[in-house]
Amino acid sequence: MTPPAIEAVGLGWTYAGRSRPALEGLTFRLEPGRVLLVLGPSGSGKSTLARALAGLVPHTLAGSWQGSLRIGELEVATTPARFLGELVGLVFQDPDSQLVMSRADDEVAFGLENRGWPRPEMEARVPEALAQAGLAGFGPRATNTLSGGEKQRLAIADILAARPSLLVFDEPTANLDPPGMYDTLEQIAALARRRENTIVLIEHRLEAALPLADDVLLLDDAGQQLAFAPAGSVGPEAVAMLDRCGAWVPRAWQGAGAGVPAAAAGARTRATLGPEVLARVAEVGVNYRADGSGAQPALDGVSLDARAGERIAIVGPNGAGKSTLLFVIAGLKRPDRGAVGLRAMPRDGEPAEELTDPSRQRPGDVAERIGLVFQDPELGFVARTARDEVTATERATRTRRHEIDAGPPDADGTLARFGLGQLADQDPFRLSQGEQRRLSLAALALRPPAVLLLDEPTFGLDRRGTEAVMSLLDELKAVGQTQILATHDPRLLPRCDRVVALDGGRVVFDGSPDEFLADPPYSPPEPWRDGAVVAEAAR
Amino acid sequence: MSLVSGPLEPVRPDFLTRVTPAARLMAGMTWLVASIVTLDPVVPIRLIVAALIALVMWSGLPLRRIPRRLAPLGIAILSLTAFSILLSGANADRSLSALVAFGPVRITAPAVSAGLAIGLRVVVIGLTTLLVFGPSDPTRMADSLVQQWHVPDRFAYGTLAALRVAPFMAGDWATIAAARRLRGVGSGGVAGHIRDAGDRLLVILVSAIRRAERLALAMDARGFDSGIRRSHFRELRVGWRDWLTIAAALAVAVAALALPR
Repeated sequence: MTPPAIEAVGLGWTYAGRSRPALEGLTFRLEPGRVLLVLGPSGSGKSTLARALAGLVPHTLAGSWQGSLRIGELEVATTPARFLGELVGLVFQDPDSQLVMSRADDEVAFGLENRGWPRPEMEARVPEALAQAGLAGFGPRATNTLSGGEKQRLAIADILAARPSLLVFDEPTANLDPPGMYDTLEQIAALARRRENTIVLIEHRLEAALPLADDVLLLDDAGQQLAFAPAGSVGPEAVAMLDRCGAWVPRAWQGAGAGVPAAAAGARTRATLGPEVLARVAEVGVNYRADGSGAQPALDGVSLDARAGERIAIVGPNGAGKSTLLFVIAGLKRPDRGAVGLRAMPRDGEPAEELTDPSRQRPGDVAERIGLVFQDPELGFVARTARDEVTATERATRTRRHEIDAGPPDADGTLARFGLGQLADQDPFRLSQGEQRRLSLAALALRPPAVLLLDEPTFGLDRRGTEAVMSLLDELKAVGQTQILATHDPRLLPRCDRVVALDGGRVVFDGSPDEFLADPPYSPPEPWRDGAVVAEAAR
Repeated sequence: MSLVSGPLEPVRPDFLTRVTPAARLMAGMTWLVASIVTLDPVVPIRLIVAALIALVMWSGLPLRRIPRRLAPLGIAILSLTAFSILLSGANADRSLSALVAFGPVRITAPAVSAGLAIGLRVVVIGLTTLLVFGPSDPTRMADSLVQQWHVPDRFAYGTLAALRVAPFMAGDWATIAAARRLRGVGSGGVAGHIRDAGDRLLVILVSAIRRAERLALAMDARGFDSGIRRSHFRELRVGWRDWLTIAAALAVAVAALALPR
């Protein structure tokens, strides 16, 4: 089947129950067989466009449609979903909520069964599609035992199986570690080279994705089109506008009109490190992995001293032990060997307290010494309004304190400082992703813990959201807080004082970000051998 | 329950693994019915013996790993039995002599018999469930129910997808507990624990609904339930083994009920 063109004329969509459109006035024509990269900040309607191309908008999701979107000869709004399903394959962001079956071959067959393929054809096609996605022989494997990158390859095999002519990828690497990301992008690059499909790619790892694109579509934070152009000839005004609305801008374009964003420029705030060690991890070993495979120790002889005002990045592939280490430091998991000690921030003129094991402390005392911001902030919310969220710890521990500090907590002032002043009475679950992340930090800001642990603190945030989070972290760091963040995002490393790399539960690197970036442990495969991603972070 | 949420462990091919899951379900039903129609403890004992024989001879399940997997169920059965004996109405009947008397607590023979009958039936239910669901993974069960009993696709495969993501929810539950501990939130006392559990449930419900929405969207994007008649990658054929299994199970159930003591 020849790949189709995509033509949008005045395309707009407003989700039911929303007053603002998610997309508005999109007008472009993508020629058959080309690769389109869609760029824009959070809330710019990128995912909505992906859903429209797959017919989920307007056929599955409710809302109101304007204008026209044609895939080849078919008008999306008036073509029944099953005809669109023949034509389009869509890969989503989260590998764990798009796989349906427990075995890889059943998984690939699922989409074919839905389309009523006869069994002999499925039996021939399933192994073919697996092989095409680089998973030859994976048929009998249980999907839950695959790595993140393998799961996304399986999702790609799923859509390839039905031989669609338009492939849509909606942030396919967002949940993956660097090896998984390159693995998935290589697969997409291989598909792009074959020129048998028209491809629409939404991807925030721009340095890795831009080399794959023929054309780019730029959207602003109101879901309106800023520009549609060949990837090599985007005008400086469009780039400047993209930058202003808070999106990440590819490094290659930054000479062309945009000021260099502060995050990428590595505006480092080096606080003078205090002498006190606030968290000590000594020769810690943990026997089993979180997934229970038990093949290797989750942590093995890990030692780490974190001083007041120090920001440490913990990096390493998935399964290297990053999350386990955070849980051990927080006292949520007791190590099998070694010890962990924490101390509260010393008050002026008082001697520093002894290091104590957090797993043996009462919750109220732990809250003063350590806080953890989860990758999914929703799971950490404990109250029904943003204001109560900020004062929850205060309210719960107040009665237990010996010295009750004077005055009621200034919740509204804290919310205002985090840019959430208008949202004090909102339900935390109804906030946007960026607002939720800021609230999860605000909740720990009223009475900042001595040590703050963060799991992927900038996950899913655009440039504006990332900068907001990082400048809040800078404030806390300036008053002597120790911050330990587990991250896959190389853009954060220049803003840390120290990088600790884990692999297989062991520390394989401990030193400055500059040293780390000069010789990174992941060498990107072709076509990223020049290391654009890493080079960007090193600047 | 872990019995249903995943294949027990690698299964080696054996007689029962070649029986279609729907037929195993039918066969299992006969035993469940037999175990609940009478209060006589002899019936469940006979069925337990039969179930153990079937488990060892024909299930293909790794026998050594079974006791550990079933330990929680065993504890539940023991406590259920103990409470049924302790709280039985027969204990209050002063005309019966007590087997054990300890202050106000009296235990009589009819109470023991009734309590055992309840506990033994739960053992039958547990072992039968293992024989029905153990020899193949849940996918085959869904295939079988759709192909043989014409259960709606949306129900069968929707349930299957939900089973696949269940372990992630267990992870979320632990994360929620961790967050609450670190924030110092969580009040003491029974009322506090109940309130805490309610708050945690609310959070996990929200996260489960979000996950379900994403999964449903992904299934729809792949043409699920789009009005085309679904075909089947793995066709299940009803064969002589199915009929033999059902007939044998029925015969055992009748024998367990009818044989003299």
